[in-house]
Amino acid sequence: MTAVLSLRNLVKVYPSGTRAIDDVSLDIHRGEFVVLIGLSGSGKSSLLRCINRLIEPTAGQVIFDGVDVTRARGADLRRIRRRIGMIFQQFNLVRRASVVSNTLAGRLGYRSSWRTIASRPSPEDIAAAFENLGRVGIADKAFARADALSGGQQQRVGIARALMQRPELMLADEPVASLDPATSHSVMKYLEEINKKDGITVVCSLHFLSLARRYGTRVVALKAGRVAFDGRPEEIDERRFKEIYGEDAIEVEIGPERSVPQPMSATEAALIAMAEDTGHGPPPEIR
Amino acid sequence: MAEYFTARGLPVPRELRQNPLTDWRRLTLIAAALIVFVIGLRVTNLDLSRANPEYSAQLLRQLFQWDLTILTPRNDFETFWDTAEGLMVVTIFLGIIATVFSVVVALPLSFLGARNIMSGNRVTAAVYVFIRLLFTVVRSIDVLIVVIVSAVLLGIGNAAGVIGLAFHNVGVLGKLYSEAIEGIDPGPLEAITATGANRFQVIWTAVLPQIVNPYISFTIYRLDTNVRLAPILGLVGGGGIGILLFQSINLLQYGAAGLIIFMIVITVAAMDFASAQIRRRLV
Ligand SMILES: Nc1ncnc2c1ncn2[C@@H]1O[C@H](COP(=O)(O)OP(=O)(O)OP(=O)(O)O)[C@@H](O)[C@H]1O
Ligand SMILES: [Mg+2]
Repeated sequence: MTAVLSLRNLVKVYPSGTRAIDDVSLDIHRGEFVVLIGLSGSGKSSLLRCINRLIEPTAGQVIFDGVDVTRARGADLRRIRRRIGMIFQQFNLVRRASVVSNTLAGRLGYRSSWRTIASRPSPEDIAAAFENLGRVGIADKAFARADALSGGQQQRVGIARALMQRPELMLADEPVASLDPATSHSVMKYLEEINKKDGITVVCSLHFLSLARRYGTRVVALKAGRVAFDGRPEEIDERRFKEIYGEDAIEVEIGPERSVPQPMSATEAALIAMAEDTGHGPPPEIR
Repeated sequence: MAEYFTARGLPVPRELRQNPLTDWRRLTLIAAALIVFVIGLRVTNLDLSRANPEYSAQLLRQLFQWDLTILTPRNDFETFWDTAEGLMVVTIFLGIIATVFSVVVALPLSFLGARNIMSGNRVTAAVYVFIRLLFTVVRSIDVLIVVIVSAVLLGIGNAAGVIGLAFHNVGVLGKLYSEAIEGIDPGPLEAITATGANRFQVIWTAVLPQIVNPYISFTIYRLDTNVRLAPILGLVGGGGIGILLFQSINLLQYGAAGLIIFMIVITVAAMDFASAQIRRRLV
């Protein structure tokens, strides 16, 4: 099996000095459903964004289908990007535009600037847009404004937009972190379907290990920018889990996003204790 | 309350420690403000001793004895455009034309002055800094100063007024527009970039829909301001009804001046109302 995506000694250091990705090497094969897990700040988003160069890697290589993405410039880079779909935690739709025009935006990489402003979308593109919206079950919402949709529906538009690119690889950055458990599963099932039916390789970061176990064919865990685990989902036992998430972590099915206690200042701790003393319960989220 | 923290060996939060009425930082601030005010009063030496109440009262009465002859052509050489209402119309259009000119210049420049669009590489980042500096410099030169200078260079008249207004407004609108771009949701930009779209397509699809409403709103706000400023420009050679107002005051025709001021007030109030209505509907 040849790797559709190879990361070689990838490093990302932000201007602030944070080493978000620290020497990551991975081979991802065609048809895999790779789930990225790791604590908040472990570098999942940074890694995904280095793959299609939404952010610039500091060192190392990204090889997509034999082509060095890290060296590509201008039109070459855009030709690579259009073969890689991406969906986001915040859906990132153009909120004021209709669902169908958001979907059609997935074809931009195949159109010239001039045609973007001067001509209407081709009948084939429109047909494809409706087909993809139909696949994710929201063709009836095609002419609604994107911000009139629920979160789950918006994420499905995000998937339809990515499908318009006819991608070989799909990147998903916490696609269900803003959704409730039931909706999360419905969105994940569409990702599973395009992975199984269309053979699109998926690299998806997730917060919940339960979702990772359910949908991933392979789990890669990041810890402080390094690969802490790489294997089949069922290999993650209690010990490995604690290695990835830290000693104090407990696995939850679905629940509060943070299962790990965050460092807290003395004053914060006191305020919480005080609130509990007075019977008001903990104050809302201190960040 | 504070015992709760001391008992547990914790630092007492400032909110609990400090009585706001005796907070020396606040008191210093209030004292400083008072001192500045007192010094200001002495320096400016506001002197009302030369005012003549009787003369002022008489003058105020004259302002309301409107001279209606300025509403019609006063001799064979004058046309509608020499009447007060004709000049008022001209004045309104001075504001409109100046706004159009400044929009035409500020609109394309605003993209070059938006950090989130220009931060890609060193060259564009330098362009961004230059453009924003340009906006700041242009904005800091007041309309009246530009009008005076252009009245000297181009002669007294409408051209000087329009240029003065438009020049200053390129700076103001440029800044407002650029900041509107900087305030957009970066998510769609990222998503459209990821589809393989080029920079132009990203701006067209992801940026434009987000800035149309703020742009219209800012433009109407500036149109409002410009129409409001236009009547004054005549006082420094910028054309429009201001010239007539200036003349009447110099010729002691307070009846005419009063009517003109009334017309200006009505126009500005109408403009203000319309602008608020439209902008309210946009947000
Ligand atoms: N634009 C940025 N500038 C500077 N530092 C950044 C930037 N983006 C991320 N970082 C830092 O890089 C590290 C990795 O962040 P990243 O967003 O990749 O983590 P993540 O695993 O996606 O976290 P989360 O689960 O919270 O989304 C963090 O320490 C973060 O603070
Ligand atoms: Mg992230």
